[in-house]
Amino acid sequence: MRVARYLLQRLAFVLPQLVGIVLVSFLLVKSIPGDPAVLMLGPTATPDAIAGLRSQMGLDQPLYWQFLLYLDHLAHGDLGTSWQTTRPVLEDLIQRFPATLELVTYSLILAILVGMALGIASALNPKGWVGRLADVYGLSAGALPDFWFALVLIFVFYTLAHWAPAPLGRLDISVLAPQPVTGFMTIDTLLAGDFEAFRSAVAHLVLPVLTLGLINAGPIMKMTQSSMEKMLTSDASRYEELCGIPQRLVTRHALRNALPSIVTIISVLYGYLIGGAVLVEIVFSWGGAGQYAVQGVLNSDIYPVLGFVLFSAIFSLLVYIIVDLVYVLVDPRISH
Amino acid sequence: MMSALGFFGRALLARPRFAVGYAIVALVVLAALFAPWVAPYSPVEANPNEFLELPSRAHLFGTDAVGMDIFSRAITAPRIDLTIAILGTLLSSVVGTALGALVGFYSVGRGPKVWLSFAVMRAADVLQAFPVFVFAIALVAALGQSIETVVLAIAFVNMPIYLRLMRSQVLSIRAMRYVEAAKVAGVSDATTIRRHIIPNAIAPVLAQLSINVGWGILLTSALSFVGAGVRAPTPEWGSMISMGFQNVVTGQWWPSVFPGLSLAITVFGFSLVGASIEMLSDPARRQTLAQEMERRNARAAARQLVKAGI
Repeated sequence: MRVARYLLQRLAFVLPQLVGIVLVSFLLVKSIPGDPAVLMLGPTATPDAIAGLRSQMGLDQPLYWQFLLYLDHLAHGDLGTSWQTTRPVLEDLIQRFPATLELVTYSLILAILVGMALGIASALNPKGWVGRLADVYGLSAGALPDFWFALVLIFVFYTLAHWAPAPLGRLDISVLAPQPVTGFMTIDTLLAGDFEAFRSAVAHLVLPVLTLGLINAGPIMKMTQSSMEKMLTSDASRYEELCGIPQRLVTRHALRNALPSIVTIISVLYGYLIGGAVLVEIVFSWGGAGQYAVQGVLNSDIYPVLGFVLFSAIFSLLVYIIVDLVYVLVDPRISH
Repeated sequence: MMSALGFFGRALLARPRFAVGYAIVALVVLAALFAPWVAPYSPVEANPNEFLELPSRAHLFGTDAVGMDIFSRAITAPRIDLTIAILGTLLSSVVGTALGALVGFYSVGRGPKVWLSFAVMRAADVLQAFPVFVFAIALVAALGQSIETVVLAIAFVNMPIYLRLMRSQVLSIRAMRYVEAAKVAGVSDATTIRRHIIPNAIAPVLAQLSINVGWGILLTSALSFVGAGVRAPTPEWGSMISMGFQNVVTGQWWPSVFPGLSLAITVFGFSLVGASIEMLSDPARRQTLAQEMERRNARAAARQLVKAGI
């Protein structure tokens, strides 16, 4: 009951926000120069053919009408057609979004492991070498351009050491892709029982996941460090120490109390990475949703861009709602 | 009483990390100013006879695929990168801070100004819900690819940060007695905001400035990397990395590695400076630092006394 009311409240805020996002991105991509009809038909098209296609696509209508038309199509699950792939954007995104999601999810897991371990260790010993290392790591991880770091990893592990496969997609060219079920290559290959393909999928994931994971561990580490330090110096922790409770337990209790702010930054990072992984996708020819959107912008193909913005906004909102729900269920202080 | 500058200098000595940050920033600014006189070669002219040469004494960082000197290009690049990042950051901070102060001041009560504040905050929500990079490329594509539009894109993407920062500061300051006193004394809203609120709320904004210049450089180079920012052959770190992309895969690392290193070190320097401003502008942390320096001085003096006694 409580949860249902909470969800309704959230939706009341979310829907206008989604319409706002669609409106702003619609106006933005509509003002990108380049006529889709001309681009679709090529340089040899007759003016009549172009005019015909324009009216067929609704491009001769006023802008507000085009927007309403787009909203109407959206309501029917139609996200438009990409002129580059000549396929419905929804189909393209259903195929590509899991690729991005798989990459981002594994990267986030790595970032959580590295970030939380370093953060907790440095909070326990801020003046020691771990604390210093963590400080420098936080600053330098934020300073590295991910696309360049990816290139350096490719150079070391592919060009020099030959440990990693060529940065060309999610599988070796010689390996047959499994039947898509979840869209996660690592899961689909296992479902198909194809272990060679599974190995290939994992090998292709290693470098991009290292790139994104190591760079994005920075913010998680900083948040863990600062909230753990605050909890460890709190009266509750001091009292526990005075009572002679072992340090391990004190740390565990402090972590339990620091968890909400850490989970918040992780959820923000998850949403951010969907769009933030674009450059790494491009470097590894990943064929994900972000790369699809960037190709769209660069080639005046507007519907993929709109579709991607919508998908990633909805995904972020879903993550936030789930995280909030978990809080409501877990933390007795928030539920009232 | 110690002077502010003296304290600053000794704080840097106590935290050598921050001194490194200031040194890096100074070096990058010097490179931006004097590159044309320091660079051994033209940063935009290719010598087709000397392509993809390894770093040597003639070409410190080697040459790229068309035969341009990478060292000359890497030290000329801050002229573009730094200018874009600083302009974008200034634009976003001025507009964002002013809006944030107004929104924070008019966030409680009734009336059109309060509704307007609410609308501004919801607009910022929408702006921040966008995938940053896709939004920036779309903006550059819509307005036409040029240095000015990259500046605008950086300003747009960063504005909500200043808006929120200033708003939260103002929200706590507007409850202070001196703001109330100003109101009772009949001071106008505009004067109160200008004379009493902004000066007391500005410190965290200043710390954010330096960090954001670093981000601005990262965004500029990322846009140029995908071909939506500064166009080659204009020397710019991101476009240089992109030009060397294919070479790296086939084993010639230097066309991409050197510009990337310059870029990373520069951003690192600006983050350090930002961190130092953050620490020095926080009265509590400044006091801890002062105490720490005092203890250190006392220990040194005691040691000298002991030595003199022996």
